[in-house]
Amino acid sequence: MQRSANRMKTIYGLIFLLSLLLLSACATDTRSHHEISEIRINDDFIIVTTTAKDTPSSLAAEYLNDPSKEWVISEFNHIKTLTPGQKLIIPLFPFNKSGLKPGGYQTVPVLAYYSFSENKPNKVSITQGNFKAQMKYLKENNYHVITLDQLLDFLDYKEQIPEKSVVITFDDGWSSAYDFAFPILKEYGFPATFFIYTDFIGGGKAMSWKQIKELSEAGFDIQCQTKTHRNLATLKKKESFKEYFNSLEMEISYPKKLIEKKLNKECKCLAYPYGLTNNLVIAMLKKHGYRAAFTVDKKSNPFFIDKYKISEVTKVT
Amino acid sequence: MKKLFNIYLLLIVLFFFTGCTGVRGFLGTIADKLSKKPSTKEPGHTKALPASYYLEKALEYEKNDELQTALFYMQIAGTLNPDSTKIPEKIASLKSTIDHKARQHFTTGVEFCKKRRFKDARKQFLTTLRYAPNHKGALDYLKNRLHPKEYLNYKVKENDTLKDISKKFYKDSSKDFLIAYFNNLKTGEEPVSGTILELPLLGSEFNRPPINIPFELIKAENLLKEKRYREVLDVSEKILEYDRLNKKASDLKNVSCYQIGMELSRQEKYPEVMEMFKKVSPEYQGVEEAIQQATNKELFKAKNLLKQKQYEQVFAVAGKILDYDKSNKAAKDLINTSFCKQGKNLIIRKNYTEALNVLSRADPQYDCVKKTISDVYKAKKKQAEVHYLNGVKHFLNEELQSAIKEWEKALALNPEHKKAKININNARSLLEKLEKVK
Repeated sequence: MQRSANRMKTIYGLIFLLSLLLLSACATDTRSHHEISEIRINDDFIIVTTTAKDTPSSLAAEYLNDPSKEWVISEFNHIKTLTPGQKLIIPLFPFNKSGLKPGGYQTVPVLAYYSFSENKPNKVSITQGNFKAQMKYLKENNYHVITLDQLLDFLDYKEQIPEKSVVITFDDGWSSAYDFAFPILKEYGFPATFFIYTDFIGGGKAMSWKQIKELSEAGFDIQCQTKTHRNLATLKKKESFKEYFNSLEMEISYPKKLIEKKLNKECKCLAYPYGLTNNLVIAMLKKHGYRAAFTVDKKSNPFFIDKYKISEVTKVT
Repeated sequence: MKKLFNIYLLLIVLFFFTGCTGVRGFLGTIADKLSKKPSTKEPGHTKALPASYYLEKALEYEKNDELQTALFYMQIAGTLNPDSTKIPEKIASLKSTIDHKARQHFTTGVEFCKKRRFKDARKQFLTTLRYAPNHKGALDYLKNRLHPKEYLNYKVKENDTLKDISKKFYKDSSKDFLIAYFNNLKTGEEPVSGTILELPLLGSEFNRPPINIPFELIKAENLLKEKRYREVLDVSEKILEYDRLNKKASDLKNVSCYQIGMELSRQEKYPEVMEMFKKVSPEYQGVEEAIQQATNKELFKAKNLLKQKQYEQVFAVAGKILDYDKSNKAAKDLINTSFCKQGKNLIIRKNYTEALNVLSRADPQYDCVKKTISDVYKAKKKQAEVHYLNGVKHFLNEELQSAIKEWEKALALNPEHKKAKININNARSLLEKLEKVK
């Protein structure tokens, strides 16, 4: 009996130790520590006290349901890193949609790339090495590459974007952009928009529809740069006004329908060939349901810019 | 011992089925029940986040003119310290400052827009939006009204056809298809009278003007060298009729209007000066100063007229200034001062009705106007009293008819004069009795 009692004691002791070991794994938890110091203010803010395990991304995931919105927390609190015990305010609404400050306002540069060359860059091409170096620069200097939709929401005064935001675009539809830029963009996780003129697609140095579909399925934005890349702003030699008007109608309506049919996604923006436009073109874009259009200029874009004259910064080499 | 074993077993089973969260929740519930702690999410119970810290932050932002951020922080401080009476007061005061500043900048922006100073207007609207991010008016100006339009609106008149409108607007009746296209009219469909059409603005390259624009530009430049400004204006306006966006023609028009305006200013022809300066782009260097100088001259003239008590002329001169600059305070002051002085003169002349007529044309917000109107009523009452006493004197001298006349005058000036009313009735009944006795 005595031996049996001793054996039971040993078994209980072992079970006790085992249960302690298992429960010790539950000693810490990523969410629990916030609940004890979390305060909600009118559904607009949450105040939390950070712990050693927190990062802006983890807090953004927890409170804003999107880890990529870590900049909202960093920018509101004017911080770059977290220290445990820090009191942070997490705003639950866009607190500065226009990026206005006492001394000025936020602007967004739109970088425009065209084709790529292996070694020497020329007027409209860039080498893969230079492109990679530029992407690296953006990453290392805390730039946020935003999508076209984010840019449009900013210009529509709907959504806030990070202070150091930038948009990447590719004009024309060169196959070299697919060959050289696509892998680098994937590597850095940067979104981008490809403006294509549809008559070019499938030609010698152009991307194929298969490649364009691949880009689209990978999350890249495909938008329009007319049908033939004609100068939309002026009449051709010996072209009558009526012929010009019919040509504009074709250049603006046809590629939109084609892109939407091929990719089953909305085509809502246009890049003007040579960056040139006029009132008639803009009026026609609006009639056909385009939401915005891009010129070529060296200006960066504030929220109040005319959405049919968004500037692309060109000659990025 | 067996009981203890059962608890261990329960914990282990719980762990396997629900993981750490379940165990933590289970233990937490027991712990909470044992300690009976209040909910940790109640702001009043936390000591980790002092309201004073957020209030200090709010004041710092307020000092830096970042009022919206200051308001955010103040609201946080208010939530953390719900018993404070000062914080709600500060929040109310800050909200009022924000409203006031936003309104002030928006009004200034609208004024700049009216003067076509669009860059200055944009600055004001941006500041408005910084103070009040949901200010719809400022946003509308920034996003829509400050951008050049691609269209002009045209209200269709009776018997207008698309070809007529096209001819009128584009100087080319064959562009009727363009109007139909942008206004969703079917082939052969004519617009209904009263409809507002949108007509896209076209550059000169799409209008074939009956004039040779490069030639006309050279002609205008040569005329400018010879200082023949009226002719420069005629030529540049002719070019702009066909090519609204021609920059050289706009520049020539600005120079010629400015020079003609300066000449008219020397001749002291104020309305003509202002008409000419209004044609000049507000961005043209020196035009704002020239307008100010011309206006100052007119104000000086009006002030002298006021000194000479020539009030009607003051109204004419200052009124013209207001025709061109509705918010000109100095001109408004002169007009209202004139009304007051006229009113005072009429009080001295005991012409109270006319005094009130004159003052009814003045701005009742002016202190001097308020005071003069009050003086008229005081003077009327005083004069009524004089007539009343005169009536009493006549009554005592048994001059009943004269007494009634005086009391009637008193009543006319002060209809509330009870004694005058009573005395008139008494005097009249006395007169009736006397008539019967006779």
